[in-house]
Amino acid sequence: MEVRTTRFGTVNIADDRIIHLPKGLLGFGGFTRFCLLEPADDACFFWLQSVEEPSLAFVVTDPNFFVPDYSVPIRQEQADELGIKSLSDAQVFVIVNKVDNLLTGNLQGPVVINTLTRTGEQFVLAEKRWTTRHPLLKLNAAPNQQAMSA
Amino acid sequence: MLVLSRQRDETIMIGDEIEITVVDIRGDKVRLGINAPSRIAVHRKEVYDSIRSENQRASQISRDDLSGIGPVMPATPATMLPTPISPGPLRDKPVVRAQVGPATLGRTGTSPTPIRRGPISGSAGEAAGS
Repeated sequence: MEVRTTRFGTVNIADDRIIHLPKGLLGFGGFTRFCLLEPADDACFFWLQSVEEPSLAFVVTDPNFFVPDYSVPIRQEQADELGIKSLSDAQVFVIVNKVDNLLTGNLQGPVVINTLTRTGEQFVLAEKRWTTRHPLLKLNAAPNQQAMSA
Repeated sequence: MLVLSRQRDETIMIGDEIEITVVDIRGDKVRLGINAPSRIAVHRKEVYDSIRSENQRASQISRDDLSGIGPVMPATPATMLPTPISPGPLRDKPVVRAQVGPATLGRTGTSPTPIRRGPISGSAGEAAGS
């Protein structure tokens, strides 16, 4: 299907790649269908793009790139709800934000997706250790951007 | 909003499964005990609110905001090898405009964030915190 986006133009997405978040993301409950886009250069950041609203997209990443000791607890009821039979069938993303020169990850509200059914949900963790703005990395200054494009 | 007066150790029922008991009252602080089926998530509202507002803010991010992240990519290409979970149609990469293409679930590296069995702290059993 053709997905219209304000950031990337029209992207063609196979129907079997659509990700369903039946409850939506917190604050965006009306939008339940997304697709995952990746930059051409295989970066560790992805875009979670709404299929329904061209302007709605989030940067997501696997937090384990940056926070090796982070893990997401899942209750049996939640696993059942998402149809997760084996934990290796699930994948965790966190939504990324930019705060000044810092990219942060919402480790308190991870998005857990069953990779087999592509059904997911944004979890709410109460562990005080993880916040909605966990620093992931500092954005590099101009010289590094030049290095990239070189 | 329904407003009920309760004294210490008194309980209200929500439906026939959820019990909320006033455990302690000290000054302007009330401690509540909550009994609910584990499928029902119980959290302090501030947590929801902060995730919601963070989502709100994150939805405003632009492509330019990600410029300059190149050098932090994992150093060796090997660590970025996909971990295919459902090969087949999911692995095809149609050519798309704007240098952004469909991504494949399960391919973000060899050591994805683990998920562990267990209660999420803050679920009903232990929600009566400070």
